[in-house]
Amino acid sequence: MRLEKCWFCSSTIYPGHGIQFVRNDAKIFRFCRSKCHKNFKMKRNPRKVKWTKAYRCLHGKDMTQDSTFEFERKRNRPERYDRNVTEQTLKAIPLITKIRHDRQKKHITERQKQGKTKERERDAKELEQDIQMLPKKDVLSAQKTKVVVKVSQQQTEENLMEE
Amino acid sequence: MGGKCPHRKVKKRRLSHKTARRGKFLVKADDAVYDELVKLADAGKDADATQLPVDEDLPGMGQFYCLHCDRYFASDSVKEEHYRSKRHKKRIKQMSGPAPHTQLDADLAAGMGMPDNGLKLMSM
Repeated sequence: MRLEKCWFCSSTIYPGHGIQFVRNDAKIFRFCRSKCHKNFKMKRNPRKVKWTKAYRCLHGKDMTQDSTFEFERKRNRPERYDRNVTEQTLKAIPLITKIRHDRQKKHITERQKQGKTKERERDAKELEQDIQMLPKKDVLSAQKTKVVVKVSQQQTEENLMEE
Repeated sequence: MGGKCPHRKVKKRRLSHKTARRGKFLVKADDAVYDELVKLADAGKDADATQLPVDEDLPGMGQFYCLHCDRYFASDSVKEEHYRSKRHKKRIKQMSGPAPHTQLDADLAAGMGMPDNGLKLMSM
């Protein structure tokens, strides 16, 4: 049993799901649902359709390079059954998926940081430009800023002298 | 391509949807054309220089072929005219761009690694 990936949206296709198209040059195209199949028939490019994985990876929306991606792959060679290896693999699967999910979450928060700083800058600029539109008591509260207080150097020198 | 009159009473001569769509099936897909072009470029051959096989079923005995658009023309002059068309130029631009999407791209985007084919059994 193999869990295939959808040609269009890259989601996993479980047995008994989706549809498969074999072109007359024997190339196989698998689709997870009729939505993906229809989009293929319309000759849409998955790289240009925003909800596909191909688009998200290409535009830096999702994490693309990570060591956790190395585990799941197509292995085109016979594997000799080993009970211990199988057991360890089954144990490792949930662990690796958890690590991957955590890293993906981190990637998205890192990605969104830039937008947040930009938003803050925009807000500051707006406040500066349109501050006269606010009623007076609000202006006073908005203008409260931190004032840097200089600690005089002399004191420290005196302290040093005493020592 | 295909019949015309959908309101015909005679069953034999009604519009056949299959024959109307047949041309669509015969057109080569983008990735197949791209592979062909890459193969030619790797071999270092020019698309026009290769000798085409004579086929009497095709227009112009199959001698005037546009590789980018997968079309046969009746004569050299028609082919030249096609080369000057907007459609052909658009097609060239598309084909000179990045490689079309494949199943491997879909797998990589899904978070799979490169396929593992094991050790090479024979030294090439």
